[in-house]
Amino acid sequence: MKRRHFIKNTSLATGMALVPNFLKAFDDLMPEILSHRNLVVIHLEGGNDGLNTIVPFNNDIYFNSRPKIAIKKQNTIRLNDDLGFHKSLAPLKRLFDSGHLSIINNVGYPNPSRSHFVSSDIWQTASSHESIQTSGWIGRYLDKYGKMPYDAIQIDDDLSLALRGVHRNGIATRNAKQLYRSLQESNFNEILSYYEKEHHAEHNLGYLYQTMIDSKSSARYLYETVHDSKLSDKYPKSGLSGQLKVIGQFINSGLDTHIYYAKLKGFDTHASQLGKQDKLLKVYAEAIDVFVKDLKKTNRFKDTLILTFSEFGRRVKQNFSNGTDHGAANNVFVIGETLKKSGLYNDLATLQDLDANGDIKYEVDFRSIYQTILTNWLQVSAEGIVNSSQKNLGFI
Amino acid sequence: MTYKEIQHLYWRAGYGLKPRELQYLSTLSKAVIVDDLFKKSKTIVPLEKDLSFIKDFPQDKLKVNKELRRKFNRRNFEETKILNIIWLKRLETTPRVLRERMTLFWANHFVCRDMTTSHILQFNTTLRTHALGNFKDFLKAISKEASMIKYLNLRQNRKSSPNENFARELLELFTLGEGHYSEKDIKECARAFTGYNYEFDGTFRLVKRQHDFGQKQVFGRQGDFNGDDIIDIILENRQCAVHICEKIYSYFVNTNLNDDHIEKMVKVFYSNYDIEKLMRFVFSSSWFYNSENIGTKIKSSIDLIVGIQRMVPVHFTKKQELFKLQTLLDQFLLDPPNVAGWKGGKSWITTNSLLLRIKLPSMILEKESYSFQARGEERNSRIVSVKNKYQEKLTVDVDWKAYRRSIKKISLELLKESLILSDINKGTQYYVNKMGLKPSRKNLVKLMSLPEYQLC
Repeated sequence: MKRRHFIKNTSLATGMALVPNFLKAFDDLMPEILSHRNLVVIHLEGGNDGLNTIVPFNNDIYFNSRPKIAIKKQNTIRLNDDLGFHKSLAPLKRLFDSGHLSIINNVGYPNPSRSHFVSSDIWQTASSHESIQTSGWIGRYLDKYGKMPYDAIQIDDDLSLALRGVHRNGIATRNAKQLYRSLQESNFNEILSYYEKEHHAEHNLGYLYQTMIDSKSSARYLYETVHDSKLSDKYPKSGLSGQLKVIGQFINSGLDTHIYYAKLKGFDTHASQLGKQDKLLKVYAEAIDVFVKDLKKTNRFKDTLILTFSEFGRRVKQNFSNGTDHGAANNVFVIGETLKKSGLYNDLATLQDLDANGDIKYEVDFRSIYQTILTNWLQVSAEGIVNSSQKNLGFI
Repeated sequence: MTYKEIQHLYWRAGYGLKPRELQYLSTLSKAVIVDDLFKKSKTIVPLEKDLSFIKDFPQDKLKVNKELRRKFNRRNFEETKILNIIWLKRLETTPRVLRERMTLFWANHFVCRDMTTSHILQFNTTLRTHALGNFKDFLKAISKEASMIKYLNLRQNRKSSPNENFARELLELFTLGEGHYSEKDIKECARAFTGYNYEFDGTFRLVKRQHDFGQKQVFGRQGDFNGDDIIDIILENRQCAVHICEKIYSYFVNTNLNDDHIEKMVKVFYSNYDIEKLMRFVFSSSWFYNSENIGTKIKSSIDLIVGIQRMVPVHFTKKQELFKLQTLLDQFLLDPPNVAGWKGGKSWITTNSLLLRIKLPSMILEKESYSFQARGEERNSRIVSVKNKYQEKLTVDVDWKAYRRSIKKISLELLKESLILSDINKGTQYYVNKMGLKPSRKNLVKLMSLPEYQLC
């Protein structure tokens, strides 16, 4: 056993009171002992139109740029004198009023990419556009602080780049039983019983075997640990709701997992945007609403932070097809019970000073949000995870 | 060439060989084997799909009758699903393996999705027509395909208000790659493609009053360029050849790009964008057969489904089950996940998908029950809704007679060489050694269930 592991295990076993002072240097040891915090990350895929999500209902530039698709004041839910929620976000108003939602405006990064894939990769890997890393930021968290593959779980069949590290990956599963059941009925175990470790996980064959080993340990753990807690039956029938329901069940079962990942697709609204976005935002808000209520019932909301992002915002000016093309900076939602700065974290850009493409310029680097969450919420050092110096935003 | 090298060629350029085919080819020289691969793929055979149902939906009536339109859409939806099965069957049975492999490769380059059966069939035919042809002609044809015009919003791209969707993907995905153009180039390119539209039957039509005939400034040049001109200009940039060669290298050779090899490919390709010439060069190069390139590619889901069935013919009595398999394995022909297509490589593998992949041979060949759930995502649920049931079995007819004929006088060792291209893990080798000597059904399934079989 490596010394570091030894120290970790003993310190866990002995509990906080007995942790000698010299161990405090290992900042990654502390969160375990203090409390079990979760982070839920939701990716709105396709580039959500932030301007029609948090609507600047007094802004003439907004209305002039979007003659057909601008949302009028009376159709929004007032947040302050200038901004209002899209009406589909009604369920989030309660969170906003009780200080459990922080809206960070104008989030992006320098020299923004307007490609879904490149920009998604940038967000998922916490990279700059100039040098995009091949591992995800959650993956690197696992590399540094992870112990088991189920430390990060994506409720899906495939695993996003965000959860793929250099040495460790998170796992993808749709529910607690799926892996276990399939493991029982396959010759998986037999094959694995012969395996001798000789490959590096960087090579594809080594990667396959490592994934098998991860499956096995995770399958058993999930199957045995997750219990059918009394979940609300009010989850709407939507992809995201289904994912959050499973996450709710996992959190309420007290899994050791730290990070959960979910996705909602369809935000690439180049044409006939209004109806499409109405529906998608409704799906989002309703899912969040039930999820938060579920967590509150078991008093786990205080341990949970929900981060919602999209790979980019959309152009301020609408296009001919009553849609919007790919833009740049966008808003990010942070939901949690113990936010230090709730409500509107910052003002929305005035729309007077747009970039050469007519897109919103970024004011807050998305990596500073990761940095803040890693440091203040997950209480680990962001070093080696967010590889650029970012300031702590202090919203949590 | 060794068995391994021949099988490597046939897995990358096709869908693998049966042991006896492998034995036969091993008596020939590399030049003959490579040439034979291209000869077999000379002819172009479109997917054979009956489209007579369109007669029931006359265009003039569709225009005015909303209910009929709805019926037409529903029918198209069903017919496109049938096209999916026809394509899959083609992959399993074709002797023109290289053309099929190239067609699938290009389908994931010029990613497109369309539920109008006749249009997507026409698109697919264009893919296979140009699959080994000239890349410039190919690109021009693709830009005028009805399905592409719909998929990337070219119909909404008008002089009065350009829509950038196609222009962006043209530069980013189809030709140059990210970082090799400016936002201004996109806007100017979009103008050149304004007015692109199509007739009901899928033929291209330029709507003149929506086309911008004005001067455009793109890549430092100025002129009253149209779409085809733009494609000519883009292809003058060597970066386009680099981008395509990198993509081909990554798919056919190795995801770890070798700059030296790619530079050699670009030299061959850039002169006239001849795809066949490029592929001949790749398959004839000695580096293509380097050990780091053999047995190191993770098979796609379609590779797995097709590979198993090319070894043992299988008849799915319910076509629904082939939809289910593709949905479970997250690769549904004609239904790419997004504009960038299937990512490939390690992205096929998760804790979850690997379980299913390892189980797949016994599910198909031994009708073992399984409890995998298809994803309930919006996208796929439109194609197939799989009930949330546990312990299901596939209903398939497995043609074991054909298999037995194909392995007459074949040793387990040769069968293993046909199936497994990667190194075998030391421990797993011990497991394989215990199988005995016969290429029995049981051993076939066991070999196909090894993680090593996931690689080609």
